[in-house]
Amino acid sequence: MSTSFENLSVGDTINGPKFDVSRESIRLFCDGSLDYNPLHLDDDYMKNSFGKTNFGGIIMHGMNNFGLITRMLTDWAYPAGAIQRRLETRWLKPVKPGDTIQPLGVVKSKQSTQKSRWVLIDVLVRNQKGEHVAAGEAMVEFPVSGSIAA
Amino acid sequence: MTQAPAFETDFWKDANLRKVWDEIVPGEPRKTLPYKLTLEAIQLYCRSVGEDHPLYFDEAYARKTPYGGLIAPPSIHILLMFACTPTDDWMRTPGTINAGQSWSYNKPARPGDTITLQARALDKFIKRERLFVVHDNVFFNQHGDVICSGRGQTIRPA
Repeated sequence: MSTSFENLSVGDTINGPKFDVSRESIRLFCDGSLDYNPLHLDDDYMKNSFGKTNFGGIIMHGMNNFGLITRMLTDWAYPAGAIQRRLETRWLKPVKPGDTIQPLGVVKSKQSTQKSRWVLIDVLVRNQKGEHVAAGEAMVEFPVSGSIAA
Repeated sequence: MTQAPAFETDFWKDANLRKVWDEIVPGEPRKTLPYKLTLEAIQLYCRSVGEDHPLYFDEAYARKTPYGGLIAPPSIHILLMFACTPTDDWMRTPGTINAGQSWSYNKPARPGDTITLQARALDKFIKRERLFVVHDNVFFNQHGDVICSGRGQTIRPA
């Protein structure tokens, strides 16, 4: 079923892609994002504690979650002529090599404004244990005319 | 190849030049650098998160869409944040922990764009003994159009 503003309902879900996290995927994200913080590269450094937290090894970039949520939202929005306008996220748990994560979206509300139409979506990323590793909210615009102001 | 060869990947280098939490002044602009966004850099970023949409890879497809050509995914600001800041920028301080982000998107970035960044700390505070900074960032293309704007929080190494 193709997505449109009219046929969306509160509670509709969007299933994002599963993503296998490995040392290689984290290293590739370093190259893709230019974020070479040793948090993501250096096991010796990660033996240290950060404040009260000890991660016990390298961790995935939090923004890898952000990129994955974006991929879910845009793959959902583009075919409908819709545009991702906002994404807010916070990280709940570190993600480590060996984890598999998957984003999920749930339509929270729909709203029309003077010139456009908007869908608010609760977003979540879960790991293979069902634990929530990231959460947030997105806003997707469904232009009235169907034309995109690109 | 990407522009990565010119990019300093050792974040310990110049670490002593970076401001610590005590020295960061909310409101003070950060030094930034213009960055030429290449198709190769966009596609390398895309591969790192499994993005395979033809709007990012297939020029013939993209030309027929309302976008009129290849674009970058909205989340390209993840790359731009590091591409547009110098090695002594405190975002690179080892141990910097991202505590959350919110971004608004206006126009897509495109291959060949020259991207500029206006950035500053907006606030700093201590919560449960952790040192937080709130950042405020706006990316522009060479036409002066806003691409996206965002706010983030990081926990600074103590």
